[in-house]
Amino acid sequence: MESDPVEKEPDVNADWNPVEQVILERRSVRSYKKKQVPEGTVRRILEAGRFAPSAGNCQPWKFIVVRDRDMIDEMERDVVRLCKLVKLLMDWRTSPLGRTIPLLLTRVSARLLPNLLHPIPFGAICLVADGKLKVFHGSPTLILLLKDKRGVSHPDVDIGCAGQNMVLAAHSMGLGTCWVGFVMLLKVGPKWKRRLGMKYPYTISEGICLGYPVGNPDGMISRETQEVEWFEDGAKKTVY
Amino acid sequence: MSYLTPKERLLIPTYDNDVYATTGRVVIDIDACNGCGMCVKICPGKALFLSGDEKNRKARMEEVFPQCMSCNDCAAMCERDAISVAVTYDFGYFFKPLHHGPLSPPRKFEE
Repeated sequence: MESDPVEKEPDVNADWNPVEQVILERRSVRSYKKKQVPEGTVRRILEAGRFAPSAGNCQPWKFIVVRDRDMIDEMERDVVRLCKLVKLLMDWRTSPLGRTIPLLLTRVSARLLPNLLHPIPFGAICLVADGKLKVFHGSPTLILLLKDKRGVSHPDVDIGCAGQNMVLAAHSMGLGTCWVGFVMLLKVGPKWKRRLGMKYPYTISEGICLGYPVGNPDGMISRETQEVEWFEDGAKKTVY
Repeated sequence: MSYLTPKERLLIPTYDNDVYATTGRVVIDIDACNGCGMCVKICPGKALFLSGDEKNRKARMEEVFPQCMSCNDCAAMCERDAISVAVTYDFGYFFKPLHHGPLSPPRKFEE
């Protein structure tokens, strides 16, 4: 049979396999519906985390699920309070302490903690302090990832693997997720350490918001290509 | 492969100096934008805002140092494909991106 003479516009999304499709379309979701995720679905997502690879099969993760609205709000309030303190001490543009001392403090701290005080999280701290940016985005479920410090080799990498497994599983079920690094501020002070059982060898590593997204935030986007050094047959090339 | 010079390694920039830092920047197709405000709501850097009267409301980007991290979440959220990242962020010196190429959507390659 002859093919259709009218050429159809090729659907660029058509031949990604289902796993690729979920990976490529996953976006961080920062607006959630109030509707709670069924318990069985959350447990199924935790299963995806449980089967992540880990160094020496040590599984250095401990999951905490928080589905208590008041408790999530309380965490949010405490994180905001700490962000306000950081902003007060370090945001030289607005601090009532003047410009010199906060700027000096920021410069010194950014040298000691260049990852945590990168301009992006520094900006986020200020937005959270001002109440412009939400921490948990109104998500009905929060999964906290605690790290067992005794894990083989690099337990933080294993936490990342488990978390990403859960995030991708969630998106494949039509749910939205967002990684929340701000949960590390819950380590400050004894309150949440006690409540979340963060004592040796456990420490909080990451948080993942989970819920039904408002609108359709998932979808493919453009992103920077990456320089890749490629060694093959005794030669080297660079691809993007 | 490019690396940092010793000077760049030592100089951690402050965040709001546009002499050496560029934030992300998006372009908004004003004709296609219907002012629904979803991009404004989800922007993690709060770099977008709505302006204009009720009938002619459009999303716009903050002019002065928008805290855009060029994540493109606004592009994915927009139902009218009215928005996309044009410039990716670069804070310069210590934080200068080294191994990034031009923007591209997901690609497939010949076998």
